[in-house]
Amino acid sequence: MTSHLPILDIQNLSKFYGAVRAVNDVSMHVNRGEIAGLIGPNGSGKSTFFDCTTGLAQPSAGKVVLDGQDITGWSLNRIAREGRMLRSFQNTVTFKALDVEENLIIAGQMFTFPSLASTFGLGRLSRSRINGLRERARELIKMAGLWDVRHQQAGNLSGGQQKLIQFASMLMPEPKIILLDEPMAGINPKIIERVVETIQYANKSLGVSFLVIEHNIDVVTSICQRVVVLDQGSKLVEGLPQDIIQDQRVREAYLGG
Amino acid sequence: MSLTDTAPQARRRDLRIPLAAVLIVVALAAPLIGTRYVTHSLIIALIFMLPAHGLNLLVGYTGLLSLAQAAFFGIGAYTAGLLAVHLNTPFYVNLIAAGLVSGAIALPLGIPALRLRSTSFVMCTLGFVIIGQAISKNWISLTRGDMGLSGIPKPYFELGPLSFAISGTTSFYYLALAVCVIGTLIAWALVRSPAGRNMVAIRENETLAESLGVPTWRYKLIVFMLSAAFAGVGGCLYAHYLTVVSPLTFQMYYSTTMLIIVLGGGAGMISGTVLGSLLFVGLTEALRVAPELRMIAYGFCLLVLVFWFKKGLAPLINRFWNAIGGSK
Repeated sequence: MTSHLPILDIQNLSKFYGAVRAVNDVSMHVNRGEIAGLIGPNGSGKSTFFDCTTGLAQPSAGKVVLDGQDITGWSLNRIAREGRMLRSFQNTVTFKALDVEENLIIAGQMFTFPSLASTFGLGRLSRSRINGLRERARELIKMAGLWDVRHQQAGNLSGGQQKLIQFASMLMPEPKIILLDEPMAGINPKIIERVVETIQYANKSLGVSFLVIEHNIDVVTSICQRVVVLDQGSKLVEGLPQDIIQDQRVREAYLGG
Repeated sequence: MSLTDTAPQARRRDLRIPLAAVLIVVALAAPLIGTRYVTHSLIIALIFMLPAHGLNLLVGYTGLLSLAQAAFFGIGAYTAGLLAVHLNTPFYVNLIAAGLVSGAIALPLGIPALRLRSTSFVMCTLGFVIIGQAISKNWISLTRGDMGLSGIPKPYFELGPLSFAISGTTSFYYLALAVCVIGTLIAWALVRSPAGRNMVAIRENETLAESLGVPTWRYKLIVFMLSAAFAGVGGCLYAHYLTVVSPLTFQMYYSTTMLIIVLGGGAGMISGTVLGSLLFVGLTEALRVAPELRMIAYGFCLLVLVFWFKKGLAPLINRFWNAIGGSK
């Protein structure tokens, strides 16, 4: 812990689509080493908030500060590459035609090669970088329990296994913080356990902070240290998970009160 | 990669190296064995091979369908032709200039075009061919319009005190072969590099690649320029071989031929493009013996391909290559 500043600080973020205020003046932060949760009913603006934070969409107003640096307006790839803030997508995505190992190597490439031009190299340096990535990929593959299928095409694996690939891919670049968009959606309980373990391992052993959108309230209460609730584009409440689930306003929001 | 090695089985001989040796000998001896017409057909195939390699980088590896190859092919042909006619520059200067000019022109064209998605991008690249033809027809002071540039000298080299010209069909074949071998090696190196892996990532899922730090936009622009440079080099060979360049160089037929080579040979595979150019260009030339049936036969071949080899010939080549590779 080099600083007490939050790893991610989002200030007064808004996103308007014409007259629709998808996200309206939301501020929140994620502390170093924390697993924070973001919950809210469908259509409450969680995903839009994620997109604006990670550069997939540009916010209409507000500021995003990552590890002390203002990254508002940066593109998705720059935030990932230079900010080491990685994100997942709601629909599981992998490079389906490539095998598991290649998926992970791609995930690490832009963090190992110092420039775009250097990726065109085929020399000894380039090969040793790739070998380094392959070793790291294999470690993460073992950790994710995908060793037996490492040479299979990602597209041939189950949804849960692809989730794990995606998760392992995000650990390749040694990220500072990972934003997960519904990591547990559509996977069976056994894999849920494994994903939870992986998140906790990354958090404790690798020091990665997390911001997690999740509907599975058991998962939220078991892994998150702090939860922010969005409703209709605005921040409704923020607090400890056990307090949040008792909160009357949160219950009303979910029940469409 | 001996991880998959198991207990010793009856080992077959690895036939890949002998086969490669045979192919090299055939490539070198072709003009000596075959008729002049065979040599001519092979030269045409070689001229199309480099633009097809460029297109394969774009379509097969990066997943961007482009019909602009004929435009850059034409730009390369005119660049080489104008240099050779007006300045009488040696062949290698024309070759490099054709690649550089085509690649450079791809930059301002690619910046707006690559902002478009899928079908809009295809239509836009089609527009480049039409615009290219219109310019070559109407910029008469430079291109002599429909009359075209004629009298492009045969390629010549100047190496120190040594100076020699490539005059015959046979020697032109060796020149084109050398250029294509180098071009193929460059294409192979590109797709083998980490950048090649990023291209495939963009093809497979652009947003995911982007989220993993890959600057997809810059890669697409670079590959677009590289593919144009490959087309330009092909255009230079074309100009020097035919000794005439006219606005007809900018024709859709060439773009589609290059696309058939890539898709038919097997997109995303270098050997597929090599085989594709020999097969599809060689085939159209060879079918000239039966002119009345030529296009019908060609069309039939394409139908067979579409129905039975949806992924082109590449999987077939792969299987064959592994089969002759001896037992594991």
